[in-house]
Amino acid sequence: MAPPELYSLGQNQTAISSHAFNANRTEVAVSLNSKDATIWERRGHEWKQTETLSEHDKLITSIDWAPKSNRIVTCAQDRNAYVWQQSPDSQTGRMIWKPTLVLLRINRAATHVRWSPNEDKFAVASGARAIAICSFDPEGDWWVSRLLKKPIRSTVLSVDWHPNNVLLAAGSADMKARVFSAYIKDVDKRPAPTVWGEKLPFNTICGEYSSHAGGWVHAVGFSPSGDVLAFASHDSSISIVYPGGPAIYTIKLSSLPLLTLTWTTENSIIAAGHDCQPLVFSGSEGGWDLTGTLDDPNANKTGGGAARAGLGNASPVGRLNSAAFNTFRNADTRGISSGPGSPGPSAESELFTVHQNTITSVRLYEGIPGNVARVSTSGVDGKLVVWDVAQVSPIGVTGIVGRLAGTHLK
Amino acid sequence: MDGSFRKIDIDQYDEDVLLESELYEPDERDPSQVVSDAKQKAATVRQSLARGDTAGALTTALEGAPYGPNVDEAKNLTLQTVVSILNSTKATEIPNIVRALSPDAQDTLMKYLYKGMAMPGWGDVSGSVLLGWHEKLTEAAGTGCIVRAMTDRRLV
Repeated sequence: MAPPELYSLGQNQTAISSHAFNANRTEVAVSLNSKDATIWERRGHEWKQTETLSEHDKLITSIDWAPKSNRIVTCAQDRNAYVWQQSPDSQTGRMIWKPTLVLLRINRAATHVRWSPNEDKFAVASGARAIAICSFDPEGDWWVSRLLKKPIRSTVLSVDWHPNNVLLAAGSADMKARVFSAYIKDVDKRPAPTVWGEKLPFNTICGEYSSHAGGWVHAVGFSPSGDVLAFASHDSSISIVYPGGPAIYTIKLSSLPLLTLTWTTENSIIAAGHDCQPLVFSGSEGGWDLTGTLDDPNANKTGGGAARAGLGNASPVGRLNSAAFNTFRNADTRGISSGPGSPGPSAESELFTVHQNTITSVRLYEGIPGNVARVSTSGVDGKLVVWDVAQVSPIGVTGIVGRLAGTHLK
Repeated sequence: MDGSFRKIDIDQYDEDVLLESELYEPDERDPSQVVSDAKQKAATVRQSLARGDTAGALTTALEGAPYGPNVDEAKNLTLQTVVSILNSTKATEIPNIVRALSPDAQDTLMKYLYKGMAMPGWGDVSGSVLLGWHEKLTEAAGTGCIVRAMTDRRLV
């Protein structure tokens, strides 16, 4: 049983805004909360920074690396996206990453970007109440964008492509998860009918869903077959939609909201967020459940083992007994305050999870959609972690207690 | 400098403005129906309390809680009903009662706790009672319950 591989890329806990591996996982592109994207190369058990992609003017919000065509797309708060392609330098002959600007025609920050499965299109979510679907126009030798606008009412926070290269799921701050058609005549063949619909011209809305308590939809994801949609929203819930059903299973969590999710098989999802640990959900058309966590709470972490056990068992409400909580309690009951003169983060302020802050991204690392062996996560603590999806630990009674999903027929 | 321009409602010039009412599914009941439902529930709750069935009373009070516009009377009545149950419960019974509630009822109870805390001195609202319930409810339902009470736009 190999423990999760842990790499600290961010200096001084600089947040990782986004990460994307190349096809054979020898390189990773990350953005360390800045306007530059950096490429790191694997050297044994270390990662070494090899290149910097700087073209954006503002913070990079999302990166995606197309595995087959080996192209990187980045999007940022400067409302632009760049497609980066490797080509030999005219003078030295060395391979360098050449940027191509994509005119997105949006007037707010870009928030999320993903290549389509065939890698001939990509979708950029934005704060302009729109999603830009970009495809390459060989005549003009540029990327053109078409906007999905209706009926989006607020910032789009995440997108995910259906395996048929046409349908796109989007999660938005107007509390809805939607399925759109992003069919582009010059690029796509006529798609076969799916459970989401038969005729699919551009901007067809194939579904619109929300959880009961609402909340921003932070993450969306199609199952490997594309027949099921999962979305996580800010009411600390994850919902799984069977459009043919038509049933929605909503699992309310007793912990903090999830921000990101990925399917590992047709019957399991890994999701993570403000609770700093990747949770595993599994189920089928009959119902869904929280089955465990990839972060084994009993594993002895370097330096934090004792603190971890103490923190984990002291309170039935996992994170309530965190360092911040203790700081305020000590200040309140004992008049102890840790002023600016006190030493930095001590062992006591260490969380009892591998990630020490919110996880913002979980992605497929090894395997193919539908049969994923490992996933990678990155977050605000500047750590990049690779997890074996088979090592699921049950969530103890003292940890977060997942409550059963209420089946809801709509 | 004239600052009156700051008070202009600029949303009225925005065709795509996102209205509060679009953020949640409206209550299908008529406002008058909601009020009579709330009155009926209040009576049922009094009977349950007289029998000593606190858990049953709380479940009844939290079912179909009024939300949305135009139902202020029903909202106040329900808050009063919930607060009367909370005040009359012994501290030792609270953990078992909150555990017995359904997840939806737990979320609704959390909303009422926060509503009560936002209105100190209103009716019989007592801060220490609400905090006692809040502690036990968080132990049973977790921080997720608090997040849902804050996120949900169906304000009670």
